[in-house]
This record gives sequence, structure tokens and C-alpha cells, in this order.
Amino acid sequence: MTQLSPVDIDLSDDSIFERGEAHAAFATLRREAPVHWNPGGERMKGWWDITRFEDVLFVSRHPEIFSSERGITMFEPRDPNEVNPAGAGNGIMLITMDPPKHVKLRRLVNKGFTPRAVNAMEGHIRQITNQVLDDIAKKGSCDFVLDVACQLPLAVICGMMGLQKKDWPLMFELTNKVLGSGDPEYQTDVPEDQRGTPDAARITGQMGVMQMFGFMSQQLEDRKANRRDDLISLLVDSEFEGDKLSDTDILWFCFLLILAGNETTRNGISGGLLALCEHPEERARLQADMSLLPSAVEEMLRWASPVTHMARVALEDTEIRGQKIAKGERVVMWYPSVNRDDAAFQEPNRFDITRSPNDHLAFGIGEHFCLGAGFARLELRVMFEELFRRFPDIRLDGPPERLRSSFIGGIKHLPVAFTPER
Amino acid sequence: MKVTVNQDACEGHAKCQAAAPEVFEVRDDLSTVLRDPVPESLRPQVERAVRLCPRQAITISEG
Repeated sequence: MTQLSPVDIDLSDDSIFERGEAHAAFATLRREAPVHWNPGGERMKGWWDITRFEDVLFVSRHPEIFSSERGITMFEPRDPNEVNPAGAGNGIMLITMDPPKHVKLRRLVNKGFTPRAVNAMEGHIRQITNQVLDDIAKKGSCDFVLDVACQLPLAVICGMMGLQKKDWPLMFELTNKVLGSGDPEYQTDVPEDQRGTPDAARITGQMGVMQMFGFMSQQLEDRKANRRDDLISLLVDSEFEGDKLSDTDILWFCFLLILAGNETTRNGISGGLLALCEHPEERARLQADMSLLPSAVEEMLRWASPVTHMARVALEDTEIRGQKIAKGERVVMWYPSVNRDDAAFQEPNRFDITRSPNDHLAFGIGEHFCLGAGFARLELRVMFEELFRRFPDIRLDGPPERLRSSFIGGIKHLPVAFTPER
Repeated sequence: MKVTVNQDACEGHAKCQAAAPEVFEVRDDLSTVLRDPVPESLRPQVERAVRLCPRQAITISEG
């Protein structure tokens, strides 16, 4: 069934992403092996790399063939007994759930994420944005990721879940442990000389998941005793097919909301600013006419593609682009790649803030289209409106430090300088 | 052709309205099909709406 590919590219080597070399690898794969078998390793099963736009559309649009319930990252241990930190949530979280259950569960919460619900939050989001910017206003320089980009989405999602401000830094720290488990910077539970190893990544991910569950369990108990106007209380009172959600269901829901709500938008904001700074003509065009911002936000999303991959498992024998995919095999959809596929975008390697059409797949498409896309778009728009209004000369003050991850297109640190406010 | 929107899947993203304003209108976060049948001349716009719908909520049936 599977055959050796002529292209020797291993996208499980997440240092490719840390070094910012993924686009070169993707270009080779799109051209020479658009449906590319990676045999995996001693511990990990193999998978198919899918790098063309049309093929990712096909996979996304057939959730009845390509299941999310066996996990949505590329990694599946060969040993079914091996502990896989987030694997316990497979089939329980929205993101790892198939239809028809998925759409029904999604309907419990999606009213809070529709365009109308999102637009009603604009004033609130602008207020948070300005509070965040107040804290850097007099400094003249800062780490844009830690001081700005992470703060807005963290405040928005933590606020929606009713978490107290004192707990937000912990949510940031645990998000980094879970989603950045492979990056030595976040492997603080592991002795220094053992960081950067697969074991260190597994321990870090496990610690992140456990600590997040510990924290969320306390929140859940609190909401059961005292309902508030927040998402956790809404979940406590929700019924699914006549039954209340179990504690396990609610805890995994909260886990997903926190992770998805803060990491991705953070990287959309950081990646957006980086793209604008690296393309001064486009940036000048935007700052001269801020009505171009909604379109520029779409281009920032295409360019940054904050989610790097999502995986599915074939439920039956099938084919992609003529390549046979066997039942049980894993396919991995690479979003940064499809968003620069020249079959879908003219001059895909040009950053163009007025690109039209711009039907990028940064949020995925179909059954699992990003629930929070509206919030992400609004948070990016408001952030750049306020940022360029108050700090029009904000500029890079050092190189970006990228996250070592094949799952999240992350930037950990982005030094910037600007004229301080008086 | 007949065009339908799956109201369970639709989340009001309004991509359909942008692609085919003669056919779709989004009200209260839900897309409504304005015409039945939809004239064949609007097929390209409707097909674009089908393709762009983030939630894959639109179907075209013949007749």
C-alpha cells in the first residue's frame, strides 16, 4: 500500500519550524510529493503529509471518511498503551469529535461565537486592548509577544470563562506547556540537562494537561456552587441529548477553550506584526489607509497560518490525488502550505494586504471550522487599529524567536521598539 | 436548481451573502435562501458560495 517517497522531508522534526525553514520544505512537497508518506519512527506511526489546497479541502469536507476521533495531531504512538497526554480527550472534545455528535455539541456553545455575538464584544475588546497598550506606553521597547500579543486573547477567553485575573498568567504558562511541550523554554518541570528530548516533551505536555485539569476542576466546583454569567456556568447547566454534561466533558471543553482561545490569536497578532514589519511598503499602505485593515487581517492570517497542522484518520480505504490511503492511516493537513499553494493563490509568496480573493484556510473549513474565528478576526483588527494609532513607528528591535513545534506556528519572543507616549 | 442551507450547521459567517447576494441573506446569524427555484444564471455565484461556506452548510439539488 505505502511506498517510499523520493522526497526525504521529515516534518516531525520540529526544529524545521523553529528555524523558519518550513516553507521551503512545503514548496518541495507540493511540487514533488503532494501526498507524501512519512514512515514515522520507532515510537510513532507513519502518516501522509497533505500539502495542496484542493486536497486539504477534500479531506476537510469529508469528515465521514476522515475522522478526528483518534486525535488531531500527527503523532500516534505505535504502542496503544503509551501515555499520550491529550489523547484521553479524543472523542470528548469538540475538536476530536465526529459528526453527527459534533454538530449537536457545537450548537450548545456556538451562539456565543456568531458574528453578532462577536460584534457585541468590540467595545470590550477595544478597552482591554488599550489597557494592554497602557502598560507598555511609557517603555519605548518591549517583548511584543509577552507584553502585548498574548495579553489580549488571554484576557478575552479568560474573561468569557469567568477566570479571575490573578489566574491568567497560570493559564498562559499551562497553555505553553501543553502546546509548546517540545520547546525547551517551556520544559521547566524537567532538569535543564534533559530538556529538548522527546521524553522532556512528553513530561511537559503531561504536566500541562494535569495542572490545567487540576485548576479547571476547582473552577467547576466553584460554578456548581455559584452560577455566574460565564461559559463554565453555561456548560454546567447545558444538556446534551437529555442529559447534563459530565464533569469530564466540561473539563475537556474548558481545556480546549483555554488553549484554542489564547495561543492561536496570540500568534496571529505576533505573526501579523512581523509580516508587516518585514514588508514595509505594504505596512505603509495600510497605515496610510486603515480601512484596508480587514483585508490586511486576512492576509496576515494567510501568511502566519497560526495553526500548522490538523490530522485525520481514514475510516475506510480511500484515495487522495490518486494515491491510495488505507483504512486506519493518518493524514496530516499542512495549513501554511495550502495557504501558499500557487494553484489557489496568485503569487502566493507575495504579502499583499489587498489580496482578493483570499480564501485562505487558516481557520480550516467545514465541520471543524474554527469556532473562534470571529473573535480572532476582531481581536486582530482592534489590536492593529489601536497599536498603529498609539505607536505608529513600532518596529522590530531584534530577531523573532520561534516556537519549536510542528503544530503551532508560534513566536515566543518579538523584541520591538517605539516612541513612548508622554 | 434548488438551494438549501443546513440550519444546524450555519453560523452566520455570511460568506454566501458576499458571494451571491441575490440568493442568500443572513439575518440573525442564519442564512436564508431568497429564491426557489434559483435561476440557472446564478449557478457560478452559488457554487462559489458552496465552496466558501466555512461550515459546508449549502447544498444544490436539481429540479
